[in-house]
Amino acid sequence: MRYVHLYFTCIKRSMISRLEYKKDTIVALFSFFFSNLCSLAAVYFILQSIPALAGYSLAELGFFYGFSMLPISLDHLFSDEFWLVAYRRVKDGDMDMHFLRPVPVIFQVFAETFQPEGFGEMILGVALITVCAFHLTVTVTFGAIAVLIIGAVFGAVIITSLKVAMAALAFIFKRSGPLLQIIYNFSSYAKYPLAIYPFLIRTLLIFVLPFGLFISLPVDTLLTGAHDPWLLSFAIIGVAAVFFALAVRIWTLCERRYESTGS
Amino acid sequence: MIEVNELSKVFRKPIRGNGLSGMVKTLFSRQYEEVRAVDGISFTVPDGEIVGYIGANGAGKSTTIKMMCGILTPSSGSVRIDGIEPYRKRRQVAQHIGVVFGQKTQLWWDIPLIESFKVLKEIYQVSDADYKERMDFLGEVLDVKRFLSQPVRTLSLGERMRADLAASMLHNPRILFLDEPTIGMDVLVKEKIRLAIHALNKSYGTTVILTTHDMTDIEDLCSRIILLEKGAILYDGPLSKLKNRFGNLKTLTLTVPAEIRAETAPLLSPEVALSEEDGRLILRFDADNVPLEQVIQYAFRDLRAMDMKLAEISIGDVVKTILAQQEATDGQAVAQ
Repeated sequence: MRYVHLYFTCIKRSMISRLEYKKDTIVALFSFFFSNLCSLAAVYFILQSIPALAGYSLAELGFFYGFSMLPISLDHLFSDEFWLVAYRRVKDGDMDMHFLRPVPVIFQVFAETFQPEGFGEMILGVALITVCAFHLTVTVTFGAIAVLIIGAVFGAVIITSLKVAMAALAFIFKRSGPLLQIIYNFSSYAKYPLAIYPFLIRTLLIFVLPFGLFISLPVDTLLTGAHDPWLLSFAIIGVAAVFFALAVRIWTLCERRYESTGS
Repeated sequence: MIEVNELSKVFRKPIRGNGLSGMVKTLFSRQYEEVRAVDGISFTVPDGEIVGYIGANGAGKSTTIKMMCGILTPSSGSVRIDGIEPYRKRRQVAQHIGVVFGQKTQLWWDIPLIESFKVLKEIYQVSDADYKERMDFLGEVLDVKRFLSQPVRTLSLGERMRADLAASMLHNPRILFLDEPTIGMDVLVKEKIRLAIHALNKSYGTTVILTTHDMTDIEDLCSRIILLEKGAILYDGPLSKLKNRFGNLKTLTLTVPAEIRAETAPLLSPEVALSEEDGRLILRFDADNVPLEQVIQYAFRDLRAMDMKLAEISIGDVVKTILAQQEATDGQAVAQ
């Protein structure tokens, strides 16, 4: 309970920081919205020239793309600070302040930034899903809806866990940004149905970097009823729990290797 | 109470070549060198003491402080803060210590100072009554009220340091670690910071560990100093004893008529060293061996002094002498 209260206090602080520079905030919001719009347009133009991909229609592919933005946007809202840790903050010895406070370091990093840009992605994702849903002819079941929601929420947990684990390596390597970037880039594979990939990548995307597990499989469940929604939900929650526990463990182990910098 | 026992920190660094080609070679080399930043030091600081932790740049002061407050994990040995090792139970110790690094602020850069304080209040779980009491105390001794509503980014260096000090004292820590709190400050701010440290120590019995290069800080604040060189302790004890390490050294500076020169002036005794600087004569002697009275008589009678200034050896001079001696013996050791 204490941590919930503390989290909101810190988030309020983060928002005050963001609003401190008025013009910067407006430019950031505008540019973020615009860049998302551009990438959506790019996808639209590409998909338009290929009327179907591995048997999926334009609307279905749009649905995939929109849905993939949900877990990514949730992760973006809550864990953006880990990018800075991976790229810069450990190398610059800028983590000292967190080690001096009577709160877990990992909690402080989460609470350091709340990234409202995530809402932009979320709104675009929901809009895209809604538009595409009107062009779909599927029988919507309760199970399919449930697995989509679980996929989005626990998918975000999985993305965040990967991010935390990769950022933690910065305590050993001083800078782990590029590594985090590589892992994160795999999420763009999951914007398309798994069926279009060769076996190796498909396996990788389900069992190793499970972006496919929480994006493609739930969408397939809605579109074709290919998987049992409850079993899939169970699997996603289980994987998320394991990933998160591992990530926190890796972080706390690596954290002790922090060397700061000379002063 | 702080107990430091056989504490060491070794950094392992790859041996680097110079320039781009050297750096590329470094990538494929497996050679490492070990830098012993802190090398087996031990000391104990009882509650309520103000200790000056001094030494040249790179002597290992900051590294020790960072181990004492839980940022760094020692390579060997231990630190106990009230019986707890900070790098093992970091959170528990953090609740009771305050830390200021003169070179790095721990405040949030772009928000008004008061907002930073509000967050720290939550982090350290300071009650409303305590918070108010602390703010009144700190507002008075550090004069932070004036710029509470300004973002930290817009504060001057002196204001920022006072803000950082206030932030570190907000939760009434039992121990305060100050790593160069007066670096780059003007004399007035330095004075204010010293008074605040004094007031805190008097009112709350806070233990203070202070590193500084400003010997006035040491003389004003510290009853005890620990002198560190190349990761090892050279001296640990009261300030007065360090000063008398080379005897009761005094310097007498004389303004004399132009015809009195150092080379030709009569000598009082071989124990009074005579030198000349900017047309003035300087007498250096140990007042325990040569009575001061005698030297002053000699200055008036034989050197026809028109004006004189008597000075004790400064703590800075003592430290300089000790470090120079140490360097000389190290040099000999290497030569052998």
